[in-house]
Amino acid sequence: MSTLLPPPAEIAKIPVDWVEERSGLISFGKFMLFRNVPKDISWLQTLGSALITVFILQATTGIVLAMYYQPDPDTAWNTIKFITDDATLGWLVRGMHKWGSSVMVVLLFLHMGRTFLFGAYKYPREMTWITGAIIFILVMGMSFTGYLLVFDERAYWATVVGVNINGTAPILGPTLSYILMVGPEISTHTLSRFYALHMLVLPSAIGGLIALHLWLVIRLGVTSPPWSRMQSNEGDV
Amino acid sequence: MPRLTTRERRERYEREYSFQKRHGKPFFPNAVFHDTIVSLVVVALIMGMTILWHAQFGGVPGEGTAERIGGLLGPAYEAKADPGVLGYDPRPDWYFFFLFELLRIFKTPELLIVGSIIIPTIWMVLLIGWPFIDRNPDRRLSRRPIALALGVTVPIVLLALTFYGSKAPGAAGAVSNEPGAAAFAAGSCSTCHTLANAGTAGNVGPVLDQAMPDYARVLDLVTNGQGGMPAFKATYSEDEIKCLAGYVATWAGATGTTPGPNAASAKDVYPAACAKAGGLFAGTAASAAGP
Repeated sequence: MSTLLPPPAEIAKIPVDWVEERSGLISFGKFMLFRNVPKDISWLQTLGSALITVFILQATTGIVLAMYYQPDPDTAWNTIKFITDDATLGWLVRGMHKWGSSVMVVLLFLHMGRTFLFGAYKYPREMTWITGAIIFILVMGMSFTGYLLVFDERAYWATVVGVNINGTAPILGPTLSYILMVGPEISTHTLSRFYALHMLVLPSAIGGLIALHLWLVIRLGVTSPPWSRMQSNEGDV
Repeated sequence: MPRLTTRERRERYEREYSFQKRHGKPFFPNAVFHDTIVSLVVVALIMGMTILWHAQFGGVPGEGTAERIGGLLGPAYEAKADPGVLGYDPRPDWYFFFLFELLRIFKTPELLIVGSIIIPTIWMVLLIGWPFIDRNPDRRLSRRPIALALGVTVPIVLLALTFYGSKAPGAAGAVSNEPGAAAFAAGSCSTCHTLANAGTAGNVGPVLDQAMPDYARVLDLVTNGQGGMPAFKATYSEDEIKCLAGYVATWAGATGTTPGPNAASAKDVYPAACAKAGGLFAGTAASAAGP
């Protein structure tokens, strides 16, 4: 009977093979990990992965904050106070979310600057740049919507000014401001609208664009630095 | 570098990249190792800032204090938002300082749209469309003088705007005794508007001493808002708004104790509305002259 049982190493492979046969995910993962990248890529090219790390950090701390936060003008500030003062390690979760957002904006600038100086947006990587630029604008939207949620004086007045700046746009401006605030001034509806944008609309849009951005990086390959000496010559073709 | 046809361009890329791949190194563990180290440093930095921020709160606040005393990285939270608060100086978070400063540069009503909409829109279009604007196929900086110049100028401009935005002054200076002056200087008006009589020097919105609006116009703007100006009808009572509008119409463009050119438009309500509104709105001059 025992001859029917394969050796342990083979048993461990069964679920792996099962997934691979149906989805091809295992070979895709292997391809991703072991694909060759140019020999001379530099430390400057680690900023993109650092941004993904910060995005995951923001998502994780954001989920924990959402478990305590109430988007209501009467209680929002108090729930932030509760998280900061009373919840176990709440100050750490909230603080990392707050400072993570600043670090993310700085890293985005550096990542974009690196891409610019390397000329890495040139053929065939134009679309990678465009998705990145849209991610950048959406992250600024995250910063803006997240700022109001704390609902202290600074948050409130900065948002009033921000929404009204929006309102100076010709034709659509006033309508846009009205839609953002859900009325002529900041109210319960403004807060829940900003909250929905901040934790549902913008993060899923950013997440989707990151996936596309990454796929493009894998498909087109990591750019070698412009000073790379690894150029093919006639003999190699 | 000569212009290439689409096909030549593709073939050249494929030839060079396949060569680099063939002579490359696997993503794991080489690049992954570098990525992991940088990610760990970034997470450590965020944690470090959080710990510093927490350590400098200034301890548990006393009875009835909403505001934490902050250290280098600021307080944990300020007082709860209160739309009726007087004397708050609104500021965006640091990543919008560049926009804040841009609005201070284009502060007159006709130019406001340049800073608030036109320049940011041009920036966004340039940012997204940049690969289509820069058609130079060379990647070496020595062969990209225009891109290099832009790559140096844009960050300097943004950093400068951010720096000056962070230094943007608050409001409130010497306050006159006229009814409405103290409320104007202490309230949200002062943050954005310059009005010599109230001693304010805000420069987000129009300079009232230059605009010199009449009573009906100020009344409408304060009540309903327009453009960058918030509506205050939920914040102030009718008398309070009448008082502020009357005060502005009377004293905008004033020289010393001689009222401005539109003072007559407010004479039916000002300073009576201020006396009715009372408190900060009444002003010492009104209480001295009142019954």
